[in-house]
Amino acid sequence: MNDRTENLLLALPGILLLGLAFFLPIAQMLMLSISGPDGPTLAHFARFLSDPYYLNILWRTVRLSLLITVICALIGFPLAYIMTKVGPTARLWLVVIVILPLMTSVVVRTFGWMVLLSRSGMIPEILRDMGLVGRSFALMQTEAAIVIGMVQVLLPFMTLSILGVLTRIDGRLEEAARTMGCSFLQTIRTVVLPLALPGIVAGSLLCFTLSASSFVTPNLLGGTRIQVLAASIYKSVTATPDWPFAAAQAVILFVGILLVLVPYIKLTGTRHG
Amino acid sequence: MVRAVPGWLRIAGYVFVVLTALILLAPLIVVVGVSLSESQFIAFPPNGLSLRWYQEVLSSNAYLNAGWISIQIALMVTLLATLIGGAAAIAIHRRQLPFSDLLATVFLSPLVLPTIIYAIGMLMFWSSVFGPVSPLVLALSHTVIALPYVVRTTLAVLEESDPYLEEAARTMGANRLQRLWFVVVPQCIPGLAAGAFFAFNISFDEAVLSLFLRGPTLTTLPVQIYGQLEFSPDPSVAAVSTIMIALTIVLIFVIDRMLGLTRFASA
Repeated sequence: MNDRTENLLLALPGILLLGLAFFLPIAQMLMLSISGPDGPTLAHFARFLSDPYYLNILWRTVRLSLLITVICALIGFPLAYIMTKVGPTARLWLVVIVILPLMTSVVVRTFGWMVLLSRSGMIPEILRDMGLVGRSFALMQTEAAIVIGMVQVLLPFMTLSILGVLTRIDGRLEEAARTMGCSFLQTIRTVVLPLALPGIVAGSLLCFTLSASSFVTPNLLGGTRIQVLAASIYKSVTATPDWPFAAAQAVILFVGILLVLVPYIKLTGTRHG
Repeated sequence: MVRAVPGWLRIAGYVFVVLTALILLAPLIVVVGVSLSESQFIAFPPNGLSLRWYQEVLSSNAYLNAGWISIQIALMVTLLATLIGGAAAIAIHRRQLPFSDLLATVFLSPLVLPTIIYAIGMLMFWSSVFGPVSPLVLALSHTVIALPYVVRTTLAVLEESDPYLEEAARTMGANRLQRLWFVVVPQCIPGLAAGAFFAFNISFDEAVLSLFLRGPTLTTLPVQIYGQLEFSPDPSVAAVSTIMIALTIVLIFVIDRMLGLTRFASA
């Protein structure tokens, strides 16, 4: 046996698993998305792209995902920055606070929001008591509920990817900026933020991809009236069942995500040489 | 010397961290609160205190079966993902295969593909080729999405390892298996352990693949909870959820003791 055979044997179980249980199923799904009663067809795509109902779902998915991503970045950056500046004990606690929700099932977390946002729940009650909203105010089954729930679900991903980059920044750069006369906020803006950008971009892509493709939280918080693309896919698989149409929608989702991801991979790829 | 951070900003920072922590923890706190409620209805803050919903859960066949299936599948996934992913990481790290860069991309690719797309592919492929979905198929699909984590954590550990140790073992006459088992694998252990925890957690909490691949006898705990939430939740759902949260806390505690949480978080 030579080195190559040994390494091939080590990698083989993984290659087989991914081939049979990952690439083949995806290929099958791609085939199904263009399969019709008489040969290959693009009818399923045409049906999606010509129906205002589905275009509306697509637009809502993109809009909400962008909003969720931006909110996550706005909260995630300061949170990650503060995590690098506090002492080790405080940092450990903050890591726990970020990781505990991350490692808890999405179903469980969404349930918590269902209780908080329901008609008699705590948040609408408080808003009503403060006189900010009317008697009939409701949060469940609104886009706002989806955004609140998804931000909580995705914030840990954003925070951790920014944290990973921030911890590698040389602290002396900030000190140098300060001694040269920058104020604290100027230092953040001209030194920390540009250096943290790769982490923010990576975290944003992750958040966008995950929120564009999630359906458990949007389905439970938004209800059946406010559908997102992933929820519509799930419906086409289980309720209708129309598998070729579900496959076509999945392909549309995937192409949309690739359109966002590929420029980034190209960009970072060239930067690393 | 300049003041490190202006006072007002420091206060704003505290307020910000407390509020963010509250948002992150709110759903978990609420779930725990609801599970302790005495009344029939889901309400937070809970009305009265009792453990009756835990009793309910522990005497409910649906929950116990789902929990048992979840644990079996999660253990199977942990074992498979750690073995397969660890071996693959070792092969990728040695860079002796002509296509090792491509191999690394292939092994990390399940990270990029949204789970729902994979779930549809898996459902369509397996049910058209092999018929009804079995627990093994669900476990394999969980293994696929857990694999990148094991590969990544193991590769990270191997990057920091000493490449000459294996050479030294070779000159001293260790054969291939001995080198692998006594030199390479022990160096991988922190990475393998971290990957194993990831794998267990991913499988145990995963809802999307489990929903698509569910069957009358194949319902995991998250799917069981999801089903309850869609129709008629009572506080017993909160009790099950609290048990799952408790398990996560135990897992985090063990990870911190074994590997250091801050390191684990940056993996």
